[in-house]
Amino acid sequence: MPSTVVHAGFAILLAAGLLKGAFDRRALAILLVIVVLPEADTLVGPWMDGAHRALLHNLTIPIVAGVWLTWDTYLRGPDRSWLRGRWGDWGVRVAWVALFVHLFAHVLLDWAHLEGINVFYPIYDRFFRLEGELLVSSSEGFVQTFVEIQTDPETGERTTDAGAVGTTADTHVANPVELSDEPEPDDPILLPIAESGWQLYLALTGLFVLVARRFQDRREE
Amino acid sequence: MAPTLVNVAVGVLLGLALLGAAFDRRSILVVALAAAAPDLDAVASLAIEGATNALFHTLLLPGVAFVGLYWDTCYRERSWLGERYGWYGVRVAWVALAAYVVAGIGVDLFRPDGVNLLYPLHDRFYAVVGTFLLSSQDGIYLTFVERGEGLLWLTSPGTTADHHVASWVNPTPGTGLETGVERELHLVRTGWQLIVVSAATVALAVRLWEER
Repeated sequence: MPSTVVHAGFAILLAAGLLKGAFDRRALAILLVIVVLPEADTLVGPWMDGAHRALLHNLTIPIVAGVWLTWDTYLRGPDRSWLRGRWGDWGVRVAWVALFVHLFAHVLLDWAHLEGINVFYPIYDRFFRLEGELLVSSSEGFVQTFVEIQTDPETGERTTDAGAVGTTADTHVANPVELSDEPEPDDPILLPIAESGWQLYLALTGLFVLVARRFQDRREE
Repeated sequence: MAPTLVNVAVGVLLGLALLGAAFDRRSILVVALAAAAPDLDAVASLAIEGATNALFHTLLLPGVAFVGLYWDTCYRERSWLGERYGWYGVRVAWVALAAYVVAGIGVDLFRPDGVNLLYPLHDRFYAVVGTFLLSSQDGIYLTFVERGEGLLWLTSPGTTADHHVASWVNPTPGTGLETGVERELHLVRTGWQLIVVSAATVALAVRLWEER
């Protein structure tokens, strides 16, 4: 995983733009928990093969949560919504932003890192990794390599490569709890903060937004 | 050079986060343009040797803008910007300046190509690249900071004389418009950039839809 610091930085950048009136300490604390929570699947790793990046890193959870949120906050009618009745408009806003942040700042960001995520676990057990580029070239025109479709010249068979890696049985994503597939007792515990420049950048940008928002609040008082 | 689309995406996210009540179509456009503006030095590099990631990526330009803006909005008794455009104008100006520095220059600084931070006073490209991790055996492992030959303790890929940052405007070292060379306009270079661009698109769409 890119470290929690990186997820949190990107999450703050996204949340500050979407929370509007609901931007307060309580909302930020809830979002921080939402950002950290999926990493709990590393703890299940020792008992279940390939649990990390599968159990809590998938699109199944956000889709189910999104369907429930739509039903509760839009389809049921404003008077009968459980969320609105309990926490008011603030709660509805924070819930939607939490879903957005979980999806973009955590799950999808991990999709583009190491062996990716197990996208539709547990319905369809396969890890996918997002890798590629998008460019306009003077000789080849529009090029995208995220999903590669190739046609075999002899058989005419088409193969699609969307970055499928493996299943929970044969894929292990390194994490601080289990560095490799079969961890040794004397393995070091590695806790990455930022593995490359862009990760440090996302973490620092989140910090910048927090500081800038405080300055703005102070000036308006 | 990072794709300009990524600069714009981060700029839009910053704009959504910081504009507050000043958010509307016009202000978010200004902020997005401010985030894209530093990349215009690629055009200048056709005339000036090594100007890409240097001429408009220098911190001196936003530094002067910061001093001017601070003097006008915080120090003077009657702010020119405030009288002309009101609270809205002051807020948009500050956020646009932040987008120029953080999204326009910042994104490029954290890539191996680097940014000529103090051009033209001190001509050297700097890049914040490396790893930062904590290990139970080796303690803190930090390679972002490095004591090199430059003024700042960062990795340096060179000076304007010997380091050329390729762009689709000027793909090869040197000045002048060339013909017959391969040009590539990158929209997204890696997976994480695609995620940042899609997050910015969705967030902007949601906010504009709410604004109707």
